Amino acid sequence: MGFTKVTSKVVLAEVRPGAEVLARRGAMLATTGQVRFSPVSAGPGGGGYGGGIASALGRAMQGEAVPLMVAEGSGTVHYGFRGHHVTVVELDGSEPMSVEADRLLAHDASMSSSVVFLGQQGGLRGAVRGAVTGQGLFTTQLSGRGSVALLSHGGTFALQVGGSRQVVVDPQAYVAHTGNLRVDVSASVGWRDAVGRGSGEAVQLKVSGQGTVYVQASEEKL
Amino acid sequence: MSTQPLDPQTLPDHDNLPDNAYAYCVRLTGPLFMQTGRMIAYYPSGGGTIRFEPLTATSMSSMVASHFSSPLYSRDWVVANGQGHVILGDRGYDINSYDLDDGNLTVRAANLLAFDAGLELKESIIPGFLTLLGTGKFLASSSGPVIFVEPPVRVDPEALVGWADCPAPAQHFDAGWMGHFLGAARGAVLGTRSGEERQYDFTGAGTVLLQSSERMLEDPHVVRRLEGEVRSLGVNQLTHLQGVVNAQLQQHRQ
Repeated sequence: MGFTKVTSKVVLAEVRPGAEVLARRGAMLATTGQVRFSPVSAGPGGGGYGGGIASALGRAMQGEAVPLMVAEGSGTVHYGFRGHHVTVVELDGSEPMSVEADRLLAHDASMSSSVVFLGQQGGLRGAVRGAVTGQGLFTTQLSGRGSVALLSHGGTFALQVGGSRQVVVDPQAYVAHTGNLRVDVSASVGWRDAVGRGSGEAVQLKVSGQGTVYVQASEEKL
Repeated sequence: MSTQPLDPQTLPDHDNLPDNAYAYCVRLTGPLFMQTGRMIAYYPSGGGTIRFEPLTATSMSSMVASHFSSPLYSRDWVVANGQGHVILGDRGYDINSYDLDDGNLTVRAANLLAFDAGLELKESIIPGFLTLLGTGKFLASSSGPVIFVEPPVRVDPEALVGWADCPAPAQHFDAGWMGHFLGAARGAVLGTRSGEERQYDFTGAGTVLLQSSERMLEDPHVVRRLEGEVRSLGVNQLTHLQGVVNAQLQQHRQ
């Protein structure tokens, strides 16, 4: 169970019957033992993975449609993707993780994933946030116990949010968050931005509540 | 992190620059074969200079001919000769030095930076890879630190840096995918591909070198190699090939 970090860009996963791993398609680097890879479509034919038809529709319509594959059998698999940095996060099942689908490298298949309308997380403001930051109106939510491997450009760091501590994050640097957090857009777009003379930091994500935000050390999108 | 400027006295003789996995410094002690475009700086010493000669116009043509047995890649390599330090880098990749002692190692052509004249270079049977034989040092790059694994292992073609002492790999196709293929589904049906149908299968004793997969550079040698093979085809085969190319182009336009 879980992922072992091999280098900053590669994780190793052990696959057993009952401990399958879901990963982005094309992210397998090497495999030993008897491991089979099969594509997962979240639709009716997709078996138990991925959360049903409604979320499949959501994915297909809203760009949260990163093709996944499941590794089954017994053996080990190295995962990595296009030389991006990898962060492993262990979830104890008490709180879900929200992450953009294209930031997700791999996770234990025992965790359930669903596509969530951002409006559910923050009402109309959530929807506005998705539209403004280019993340789309949907995000992927992982719940259950297990480990998750996240992709980032330049590596991530975790910021604790709690009590009166509120964190403001650049939308391009935001990767994922866990816990009971409220993410709002704070836009201070003035006439300078309209004429292209702004500071470049007009749109920011204001994160408050109780939890952890994962931020990458770069403003590059994947 | 220290940002002390380096000079010929403080530069390492055969090591990464201090606190920097992405740049490597070599002090020349004889001719050094280098891939073009990988030198980022050099320091001549002893009042001399360092010459970078193309393989086709070198003063050491017999030495080159016996150590560089690959016409396909000869345009991309130079011989450095003289006295001083040469610093190499490659796309921000980690660079490592490897020692071969009467051994053989095959490495992805794009990731091989330099090798000394103790080694001989040959083209591998696997397209896009080069084999080094003999005793000496060479430099190779990888996206992130290199991971060493032992066979039996199956590797994604993009993640393979090279292999040493083990038999050349066989291509392995996923059983599920083969089933679809043989059932005339041809793997093109939506959602039947896992993206991992084609793998390199390593068996026997040895070491396999891995990296995190990269966005592949367009390798001009693939085209050159194909061009060479096209000449031996007949009219029917060429017409068929034309059809395949057109179908592929159509797919890319969509």
